[in-house]
Amino acid sequence: MIEESVRRGEKPAQRPVVAGFVSADEPVGPRAARPPSGLFDAVERGLPFETTVHDELRSCRAEVEIESFDLWYGAKQALFGITMSIPNGAVTALIGPSGCGKSTLLRSVNRMNDLILSVRCGGEMRLSGDSIYSKDTDVIELRKRIGMVFQKPNPFPMSIFENVVYPLRVDGVRDRHTLDEVCEKSLRGAGLWEEVKDRLKESGLSLSGGQQQRLCIARAIAGDPEMLLLDEPCSALDPIATGRIEDLIGELKGRYTILIVTHNMQQASRTSDYTAFMYLGRLVEFGPTGNIFLNPRLRETEDYVTGRFG
Amino acid sequence: MSQTSPPPPRRRRRRSVFVIERISRCLITAGGLGTIVAVSLVFVFLAAVVVPLFLPSSAKEVANEPVANAWRDTPPSEIAVDDYMRVGWACFPDGSVECFRLDTAESLVRRRLFDGPPPTAASVSAREEGGVFGFPDGTLRFATIRAAARAVDPASLPEELRGIPAGSPVRHGDGILERLPDGQMRHTVLDTRVEEPIRIEPPSKVLLVDSSRHGDTVRVAAVTEDGRLVLESARERPNMLTGEVTRVVTSGEMRLPQLQGREPPSHLLVSGIGDSTYVVWADGFAVRIDSRDVSAPEVVEKLDLLPEPRVRVTSLRFMIGRTTLAVGDSMGRVRGWFRIKPHDAGTKDGAILAMAHDLERGNAAVTAISTSQRSRMLAAAYEDGTLRVFEMTTEKTVAEVAAGSPLGRIALAPKDDGIAGMTAQGLLSWRLHARHPDVTLSALFLPVWYEGYPAPTHAWQSSSGTDDFEAKFGLWPLVFGTMKATFYSMLFGAPLAILAAIFTSEFLAGRTKARVKPVIETMASLPSVVLGFLAAIVIAPAVEDFVPELLSCFVTLPFAMLLGANLWQSLPGQGRRGSIRAWRVPFLFVMTVAGIGLALIVGPVAERVLFAGDLKLWLDGQRGTGTGAWMFPMLPVSAVIVGIAMSHFVNPALRRISRDWGAGAMARAELVKFLVGFAAAVGLALLLSWLHGLAWDPRGSFVGTYVQRNALIVGFVMGFAIIPIIYTISEDALSGVPEHLRAASLGAGATQWQTAIRIILPTAMSGIFSALMVGFGRAVGETMIVLMAAGNTPVLDWNIFNGFRTLSANIAVEMPEAVKDSTHYRTLFLAALVLFALTFVVNTVAEIVRLRVRKRAYEL
Repeated sequence: MIEESVRRGEKPAQRPVVAGFVSADEPVGPRAARPPSGLFDAVERGLPFETTVHDELRSCRAEVEIESFDLWYGAKQALFGITMSIPNGAVTALIGPSGCGKSTLLRSVNRMNDLILSVRCGGEMRLSGDSIYSKDTDVIELRKRIGMVFQKPNPFPMSIFENVVYPLRVDGVRDRHTLDEVCEKSLRGAGLWEEVKDRLKESGLSLSGGQQQRLCIARAIAGDPEMLLLDEPCSALDPIATGRIEDLIGELKGRYTILIVTHNMQQASRTSDYTAFMYLGRLVEFGPTGNIFLNPRLRETEDYVTGRFG
Repeated sequence: MSQTSPPPPRRRRRRSVFVIERISRCLITAGGLGTIVAVSLVFVFLAAVVVPLFLPSSAKEVANEPVANAWRDTPPSEIAVDDYMRVGWACFPDGSVECFRLDTAESLVRRRLFDGPPPTAASVSAREEGGVFGFPDGTLRFATIRAAARAVDPASLPEELRGIPAGSPVRHGDGILERLPDGQMRHTVLDTRVEEPIRIEPPSKVLLVDSSRHGDTVRVAAVTEDGRLVLESARERPNMLTGEVTRVVTSGEMRLPQLQGREPPSHLLVSGIGDSTYVVWADGFAVRIDSRDVSAPEVVEKLDLLPEPRVRVTSLRFMIGRTTLAVGDSMGRVRGWFRIKPHDAGTKDGAILAMAHDLERGNAAVTAISTSQRSRMLAAAYEDGTLRVFEMTTEKTVAEVAAGSPLGRIALAPKDDGIAGMTAQGLLSWRLHARHPDVTLSALFLPVWYEGYPAPTHAWQSSSGTDDFEAKFGLWPLVFGTMKATFYSMLFGAPLAILAAIFTSEFLAGRTKARVKPVIETMASLPSVVLGFLAAIVIAPAVEDFVPELLSCFVTLPFAMLLGANLWQSLPGQGRRGSIRAWRVPFLFVMTVAGIGLALIVGPVAERVLFAGDLKLWLDGQRGTGTGAWMFPMLPVSAVIVGIAMSHFVNPALRRISRDWGAGAMARAELVKFLVGFAAAVGLALLLSWLHGLAWDPRGSFVGTYVQRNALIVGFVMGFAIIPIIYTISEDALSGVPEHLRAASLGAGATQWQTAIRIILPTAMSGIFSALMVGFGRAVGETMIVLMAAGNTPVLDWNIFNGFRTLSANIAVEMPEAVKDSTHYRTLFLAALVLFALTFVVNTVAEIVRLRVRKRAYEL
């Protein structure tokens, strides 16, 4: 209570003057627990607005291109006209307050949202130029091109080895040599090889939480994907395990295009090259991580990254 | 302490809250304990009824009185006691009969049965109420000897006898008078009657004689001094209208085999229905004579009952039914012999005499044997003064008592509740409490050699029309029947239920799933009696007409479905949401109908090709070869082999060459692959079946003679009954697999089917196992369906086309007719206990597994 009143008192003084969207009507006085922002207010009212995209992104080669992507859960719209290009070979972080559609957007890339029957979507999304939402797209093939790591470590209840080679198993690969090779390569890639090389036959569930998450990363890269989707990969881990995963993301950068959703500002700033800030289903600002955190174009972005709300 | 402000008054709980708390606690405790007690009581009650089956029998001495000197000089040849263990009668070699009190050995009356010379041969028994005597002049005379009890009017009795207390009999006239607890007076007297002599032509002194009555026919056999065996058969036929009795007498004779250096035979016995006559010499040599045709008897078998040298037959009696010979010898053994009909008998009538039972050996020579008149018990007395009571079939030693000195004659009471015995000095009697001699643990669960069976067998046959029938209480056929019912219904129901569970949990959308599951669960509420009569009245007769078609269904239905799946893949418009997807289930339905239609076409063809044109005759083993039978197990086996071969050799190659094929081309390739694979599987199955058929014809094992109500029908219907329970629990287990595993698998590029088979199913395996166990438990205990549709034949036969009887159906069928506290009654309770144990074990295993699942689910 006290903190909130202090914050409320400070806000008008720190209001930055940033070029961008200017709301038609400025809010009359601050409202409790709401960022006093014209932009957010407009978003809430459903007014049209334009995403602020930093110039640095225009020169990048895009791995995934998203154009005016809309998504509904039944009657409720969750994503509003998202247009962004996810740069190839770099780490792009999606940040934003809870319920802003970060995870929905991430899961739209490999069509995991298809599993929810009430989901409808519109607009276009392309992976290396191949349409993701076209009628001819084979979802299974698509998912094989994209590795995914989830919020909670979710190894299968089988051996470490089988966990890692699962993407190959479903492809019908039986050759022991190939499997061994891929297993080692993937585990090394996920920085887990040294820890588990002597107990590949043990259950994946016998590992610690951080190890399990790295096992999941090994599984994600075993299928030799073009891209990795990380959905808050560290939210269930302790700081040390988080650190290791973050280091790992740094190592994987370049080899894979990585899209990561995170709630943790520091993590976004430490691991990512680009950051996209989302709010209530809209992409608000998208630019190089340094710019977003140190020199955002929008006051709302700055409010969020500095922890004034969210 | 300093005065501080009083604490603020606390709100006090109201009294009613306390009271309600108390009451509810008591109620809950009572309810909980009550449930536990009730469940335990069921077990306790079952056990209480069953336990007496295994309690030891007892024999208590009730009298030991010295006998008159006259008896010591010429001991009786036979003694017998009456139904109430009050009087006995003894038959002496001179043809006189004496009736005596059992408790005091006081003689009541002695009567000479015949005038003229004393008989030279006699065969008398209490069971026959008399017997036949042979005389030196070659005549035979039947005599009735019995202790007849009748109620008398107390008013007709002398004054001093009217007031006798109950339970202490007094002498009255030639008999004994006793007041019964209900006030009636019972007078037991000796009743004797002698019939007209039958003459043997030409006359010769009779050495041995025996007779047997079967229905209205009496057969007599006699061995004469001149070495002949004379047989007489008298049939009394009353005229229905006049009541006149016509007596048809047939007779015949034969020469006994001349045996060098042997004395005349010592025993002659005529079997119950007169088909065999046994002549036995004291050294154990025996001759069995086929006397079915009295006018032309012939020796069919000669054997030595006692091959050991210098061992002699000391007592030889028939067991009840006059089929089993109880042979007591000088080594103290009592052994049971009866006629069996093995395949390789090598005798004229296809039967041989076999030693089936060898009872516990005594310490000295057997002196006397007395067989029971109502059961298969016998008493044997030994030279050392001991007496043992045995049960012949179970070979159990029921009781053992010691008389001090050798018992020359013994008699087992008609109700098996007492034994009387005579030593040289005295008359002894014992009260016998035999309980359930015909049941032992091994007789219940291991093969038992029942009378007339070629070898020890498992058999359940609790009742029959005749008194001398031997009840067979082998529980194994029932346990087997239960297993068979369970096996075939699980074979049918479990895969369907599990596949249905996978389908609903992994492939159906939330709303449809929410509707399908309760619908399947309502199937469980269908009363099993309805299923039972549907099975028995509708399905069984219908199936009987369409057996080849039905069997073909097992092949054509999966074929049609898989073909449908492959055809579906080649249809245009795949993957488009809401386009042709909605028609998937109708299409499946069409393919199901097509599969059944195909079966109607294939059925007769298969019958012609594999089953020699007529399936039922073929099943009977009357024609054709075993190849067709092998098709049943070989088809799935070869399907698996072909499937593995396909995935190892064809799939990698196909994957290599199909890299840039379109979906349509791929689907067509898959269709071709499927058709080729199917043809290969059928071909391989035919080949394997033919090879196996050369080695062994399985008819008579897992397939065999077709019976209308059979395991196939029960498999269908009981499978249907257990589907809901297996389905529900499996579905819960599958749905309980955490969503994140599903997401992880799909995210790794697995299809829904791969996810279901590789991730969901293994993770939910213990839950599914538990579902199977619960379904198993349900099938084990199921009664109505098997009662109505299984034919209830307690046979040990895996044949899917034969019936069976389960423990539960057996209890339902026989409990109403079982006499309370009889062996039968208690054995049925034991069957219930076995059933209880079976389901208890199964459910416990299921529960343990379920708990493990829960623990494992926490880890995920």
